[in-house]
Amino acid sequence: MELGQLLHQMVFDYTLRTIMLGCGLLGLANGALGALALLRRQSLIGDSLSHAALPGVCVAFLLAGESKDPLVLLIGAGASAWLGSLLASAITQNTRIKDDAAQGIILATFFGTGYVLLSLIQGRAGAGQAGLDKFLFGSAASLIERDVQTIAALSALALGLMVLFYKEFKLLTFDPEFLASMGFPRRRLDALLTTLIVIVVVVGLQIVGVILMVAMLIAPAAAARQWTNRLGAMIGISMAIGAFSGVAGALASALEANTPTGPAVVIALTLAMLLSFIFGAERGLLWTWIRSRRSRRRALAQGADRAFAAGD
Amino acid sequence: MDAGLTIILLCSLVAASGALLGTFLVLRRMAMLSDAISHSIVFGIAAGFLMFRSLDTLPMLIAASATGLLTVLLTETVLRTRLVKEDAAIGIVFPALFSLGVILITRYAADIHIDVDAALVGEVIWAPFDTIFIGAFEVSRALVTMAVITLINLAFVGLFYKELKLATFDAALAASLGLMPALIHYALMGLLSVTAVSAFDAVGAILFVGFVIVPPAAAYLLTERLWTMIAVGIGIGVIGSLSGYFVALALDASISGCMVMMLGALFLLALLFSPSRGLLAAYLRRRRQKWEFAAQLLTMHLLTHEGHPDEAVEACTSSLPGHLNWGAAFTEKIIHRAQSRGWIDRVGEQLRLTDSGRVQARSLRKA
Amino acid sequence: MASDIPTLAINDLTVAYREKPVLWDIDLEVMPGALMGIIGPNGAGKSTLIKAILGLVKPASGEVRIFGKPYREQRQLVGYVPQRSSVDWDFPTSALDVVMMGMYGKLGWVRRPGKAERERALECLDQVGMTAFAERQISQLSGGQQQRVFLARALAQDAQLYLMDEPFVGVDATTEQAILGLLRRLQGQGKTVLVVHHDLETVSSAFDQVAILNVQLIASGTTAETLTPENLRKAYGARMLTRLELPTG
Repeated sequence: MELGQLLHQMVFDYTLRTIMLGCGLLGLANGALGALALLRRQSLIGDSLSHAALPGVCVAFLLAGESKDPLVLLIGAGASAWLGSLLASAITQNTRIKDDAAQGIILATFFGTGYVLLSLIQGRAGAGQAGLDKFLFGSAASLIERDVQTIAALSALALGLMVLFYKEFKLLTFDPEFLASMGFPRRRLDALLTTLIVIVVVVGLQIVGVILMVAMLIAPAAAARQWTNRLGAMIGISMAIGAFSGVAGALASALEANTPTGPAVVIALTLAMLLSFIFGAERGLLWTWIRSRRSRRRALAQGADRAFAAGD
Repeated sequence: MDAGLTIILLCSLVAASGALLGTFLVLRRMAMLSDAISHSIVFGIAAGFLMFRSLDTLPMLIAASATGLLTVLLTETVLRTRLVKEDAAIGIVFPALFSLGVILITRYAADIHIDVDAALVGEVIWAPFDTIFIGAFEVSRALVTMAVITLINLAFVGLFYKELKLATFDAALAASLGLMPALIHYALMGLLSVTAVSAFDAVGAILFVGFVIVPPAAAYLLTERLWTMIAVGIGIGVIGSLSGYFVALALDASISGCMVMMLGALFLLALLFSPSRGLLAAYLRRRRQKWEFAAQLLTMHLLTHEGHPDEAVEACTSSLPGHLNWGAAFTEKIIHRAQSRGWIDRVGEQLRLTDSGRVQARSLRKA
Repeated sequence: MASDIPTLAINDLTVAYREKPVLWDIDLEVMPGALMGIIGPNGAGKSTLIKAILGLVKPASGEVRIFGKPYREQRQLVGYVPQRSSVDWDFPTSALDVVMMGMYGKLGWVRRPGKAERERALECLDQVGMTAFAERQISQLSGGQQQRVFLARALAQDAQLYLMDEPFVGVDATTEQAILGLLRRLQGQGKTVLVVHHDLETVSSAFDQVAILNVQLIASGTTAETLTPENLRKAYGARMLTRLELPTG
């Protein structure tokens, strides 16, 4: 396909434009919140939250009279993901079970329960008819404008709150005790930040699915970290990488037959990450390697000089 | 063999072999590696199929297990660059392999018809119908495979129990004794990969994590010794599989889903009601200790100020709540408790330590 | 501020973790202008004492007053230097940025640090001799330099009472001198400083007051009177002390 034709399609093809917008927005929001999740060493929270969302989707569907309204389903998903993270921290705080196992327990049992509910719903309504299974694998192709509007609104909400409390979240991530000593409510800020992460995770579910959500959240941040040593810049770069990979993945899956969007987005993210690990301006392996070689050569040269001076 | 019995046996074996290894994952804080390995296997299955063009058990087992180990190695390589921390290293490696696997399948192996749902939760319902003959007996192929895997895991844990134990609790000591904790680590990861592949058709990538992590975690709340933890973990896994099967039958819902749901329910029971470490026991113990502790604190307080000029104020019932920052009612209760213990005497508004109260406070002071 | 009100008054403070006492019935008064070292063996509850003063752990009994009022009314008067190892220095930020964090409390919710805060932060960095490193990524600083950044952050809090948790751990000689000089300067300005300290040999040269802690308060007062072999034996046990050179008071 020619470039001109491609650009034309990107602007005027309704389906493609919708998918690209949705994936781009999603990458943007996840890139921002993912930066904080990564720095808090909570990378795998994206994994447990996305799995824990499933029972909520099903319960919301049933409670709201078999409603397929995206907002209703997302509220259900968010509530149950939130409950999952609450339970996980209750387990780690009150027993000797460590964080990794607690995440695994929540992830598997919530998902198992959600899948049971899903199989019940599908058994009743005829397989797939309820359309809830898009929360399993994600389905960017089925996005309609109403979905994109929901994504946009929720992403804007999460990003807006993150910008508003940027200073507080930054210190919460770097030195929570110091933050608390100055009178900021540490627990409440913690809960707010978790809520924002829950929002972007459940929004992303219907596009990339439960399994790949963790990459959507942290891969942009892991890539961005290698380019800069400033949090603000890292968040900006992370958003850009997230959005770019989202759009690239959407395009790839639209143009190539048999290429699902979620995996395509993750492959784009993985490539971005690989490039960043190698060429990242601040911490990239290539520059580190060159620097260490240079300093070794200098040390060798100095050693030789000294040996010469000593008359060896 | 009866289909129901086959399914129950098969899933019990998944749970048993999972708990054998999962115990060490939980103790070594590597629970999420089971998640990573079970997902990456999708790539192994796709790559294995494209390479060998067959879905036979053995090549699949080899290819997918290799992917499991590859996941562990890649994660450790990423970690070694020190560009990201451990949690992130896990979280970026397995989605990449999983995505690659899915794309390989959808593009080049559309003919293998992997049911997408089955990749997540398995399709145990078909296991009884794929059979092989052993002598005159016709048994489920998956059941035979799983039985062999369970025996291998059992042999591994049995033979290397001492090494596993030491590598788990003190890797440095294990290394200095020449027990090669790294080798133990990779053996554990290799077996975990083989187990995940063998269980894949029955319980899928996500629910496998439930079978591996949930029973040992529940057992961790119920026992104090390593080998009982393993045994209880296996027991919980079997009970969960059994009860889950009948719940699924009653509800007409996903079998593996119900089993993990029941495992979750068993975990919740252990979490709430474990006599030694349950939340309820902890709450009761803490409440009891709170009174006892406060009464001890009172004797300490009195001893500290005994014979000092400020004793009149510090040992006065009306000023105590203010000094200790206690509520008036709470203070009154604690005074009663200390009195009934024979630790203090009350003369009007003044509190005084008895001899036994003084002994009590001194012993605390030394502790 | 009337000088007869103690900067810090701790009354009957007991802190327990899961019903195990970490601090037993502590009474301590610190007057304005004091430079006090808090010493004691590992697990003596030194850091817990600081955290209890800051309201970071909830006491089982007793109370803490800063200039006669509870901590939550007096937060603006207290500066805090946590242990250096309590944070991840790989965090993407600069030395200057960390120092500006000291002003977040006074800025309050949502407001961002601006030009004035930046100037002030640079001044604080200057006071610890770190101006040249203002824009440096914090992981690229030496241990001593990181410690000085933390001190500058506390200076930016512009407090009357400074609480420092092990500021001398793992620092180079330059930093040690810089910290000692800073402590004296703060004292000269009439500020009160409490420092958790682990090195018995330097206690008497660094601090003029000392509190000896081992779950209970063993003794407190001027260094000369308090740092006696008797008191140290009570805190550290006899066996440990035979290996230590006792400072002559």
